[in-house]
Amino acid sequence: MQRILGTALAGLLAAMSAHAEEFTVGAELPLTGSLARVGAGMQEGIMVAAEVFNRTNGKHRMKIATVDDESSPAKAIAAVEKLASDGAVAITGGYGSNNIAPASDAANKLGLVYITSGGVDENLVTAGRKHFFRINNTAGYEKAALGLFADMKVKSVSIVHSTKDATSSLAQSVQKALAAKGVKVTSHAFDPAMTDFKPVINKIRLQDRPDAVFMVGYENDYVGILRAARVLKPQVKAMVGVWSLATPKMAAEFPDLMPNVYGTALLPFPAKFTSADGRAFADTYKALYKKEPDYLGQFGYVQSMLLFEAIARAADKGTIRKGGIAEELRRTDRETLIGRVQFGANGDNVNFSHRMGQHQGKNIVIVWPPQHATGKMAYPAVPW
Amino acid sequence: MTRLYLPSLLLAAYAGVPLVLGGDAYVMSLIDAALVIGGIALAWALLGNLGGMVSFGHSAFVGVGGYVSALLTARAGLPVPAGLLLGGVGAVLAAVVMLPVLRLRGPYFALAILAYAHIFRILATEWTSVTGGAAGVSGVPPLPVIAGIDFGGKTGAYFVILTIVCVFAWIYARVSASHYGLALRAMHDSEDATQVLGVNSTLLKAAMLLLSAFMTGVVGAFNAHYIGFLEPDYAFAGLWVTLPIVAAIFGGYRTIGGPLLGAIVVYLLDQLVFKSLISSGHQLILGALLVVMIVFSPRGLLPLLTRRRERDA
Repeated sequence: MQRILGTALAGLLAAMSAHAEEFTVGAELPLTGSLARVGAGMQEGIMVAAEVFNRTNGKHRMKIATVDDESSPAKAIAAVEKLASDGAVAITGGYGSNNIAPASDAANKLGLVYITSGGVDENLVTAGRKHFFRINNTAGYEKAALGLFADMKVKSVSIVHSTKDATSSLAQSVQKALAAKGVKVTSHAFDPAMTDFKPVINKIRLQDRPDAVFMVGYENDYVGILRAARVLKPQVKAMVGVWSLATPKMAAEFPDLMPNVYGTALLPFPAKFTSADGRAFADTYKALYKKEPDYLGQFGYVQSMLLFEAIARAADKGTIRKGGIAEELRRTDRETLIGRVQFGANGDNVNFSHRMGQHQGKNIVIVWPPQHATGKMAYPAVPW
Repeated sequence: MTRLYLPSLLLAAYAGVPLVLGGDAYVMSLIDAALVIGGIALAWALLGNLGGMVSFGHSAFVGVGGYVSALLTARAGLPVPAGLLLGGVGAVLAAVVMLPVLRLRGPYFALAILAYAHIFRILATEWTSVTGGAAGVSGVPPLPVIAGIDFGGKTGAYFVILTIVCVFAWIYARVSASHYGLALRAMHDSEDATQVLGVNSTLLKAAMLLLSAFMTGVVGAFNAHYIGFLEPDYAFAGLWVTLPIVAAIFGGYRTIGGPLLGAIVVYLLDQLVFKSLISSGHQLILGALLVVMIVFSPRGLLPLLTRRRERDA
């Protein structure tokens, strides 16, 4: 009997190991060009996800093949074509809607799943790409900003936004939603090349006199706006921004500009991870890159881990080449480091909602939503 | 021998390349992108060689051509081939607005036309009701399927851009061989002396600017349909000036085939060879190669190869 059982077990193990496979996953990322910094951040998250998955899955392995799209749409298409010809079963990565749209079109034509956190253009999820998935969107940033303003009970807001796609789109959505709630809103658009914000801030100071200034731009824009505000000292109660603002890097590099400034942040700083997934991410990240994890790595990690899990499930069902990865992603419903993720029919994460952090001393404190808050907001409070 | 040279080259381009590389979508997509750069480089070199004008503003024609075709096909439902031609016409209209800068010469002309390109980018960003603003135009229709051939595929698109580039090279050759071409080349040496002989130099320069703009606009329109997405920062990006200039100078901008050869060699060497050696930062090797080429053969690659062939013969 024991011999029969032993033989059966050996047979089962042999069958299992025969089905354990290594899959190549393509990472199409801007590692050079204008998006190099964010591309590198996302790549760190992807590599951490592969490391954690390979260590914990025990059966299938993921191998990452990376191609630099050089922040160019034509090269993003070529990168996807190359990864497909190298045997990639799916693509993770992408930054900038103008690169993601053509790259995901190319992936769609090849029947490959494309998952990203690098583009918030609505068209990405409304153009009918059947293999496209995204874990974040403008709506999530909007929810966070509106939630914070509601908690602050602001009566008037001045929005200062870059004319780029993602920033204009978010600024317009927030403006509309605030106006619908009876908040007085004034909007000031600026060209991405603008560096001197004193005229805009002066107008806000003398004409708008708002409770809060809402900045929708990128790192250099925030620095310019805050510098101008520090000089002109408008009588506002809060300076609020979005991405790339409530980060340890900004706190370290601009200690005079950041105190009390708000921005979207998934993690407090110093980061505290309570879940096993979070600890695995943070420990592996620190081991690989010798630094504290940031939000770009976190997004790259989540999108890639969800993809790897879907690949593993599809492999177990033998549906990898039959559209199984997309099917498994559509079935995804799990808590992640960015909250609960479920994909709608269009591939968008229906639950995405960001959190708001505030620079307090050398720390970043999560102040919204209340269930994730790690401290109280300092309000009214400005950097000067 | 020389008479056989061009037909052999065309045969290789139209039959050899698709037969040998048609199955490799990655390489074909790189060749398509290289020909887009080549087409713009050809148009830029025409203006430099025959008009004596160094333009830093060709991104305006790429952007306007792309936007006109994208909007007319995606919003007004025009067929894509008509959109390509109208993209060229749109770029010509943009060039008409630029005609006052023909009064300027040298760096003043180059800077003024660069300013125009910037103006068009801002227009595309701010004229939201027409252009979609910073969000751009999405869902740009791909090149169509005609007689069972999918021109939206990598090989189909290759035939389209190759034909566009070949037709433009032929037009360039005809202009260059005409007495207008002779007058334009004479203007290169001394515009004043040419005017004394009764040549209307301003009219000729304007004609070259419009022709160059048309060519660039058509290539820009092709690229919009090839990529399928357009937004101001990409459509009017500086790379539409820098890369074609590099390609034209590398290949030999005083020749017709030089800019095309330069674009193909520079782009494919960079993407296929240098990128496989250094995945990030491969442009360093390309930069070094350019320096070597300019130092050892300032007239470019094509004149270098032609001289060697003549010497061997």
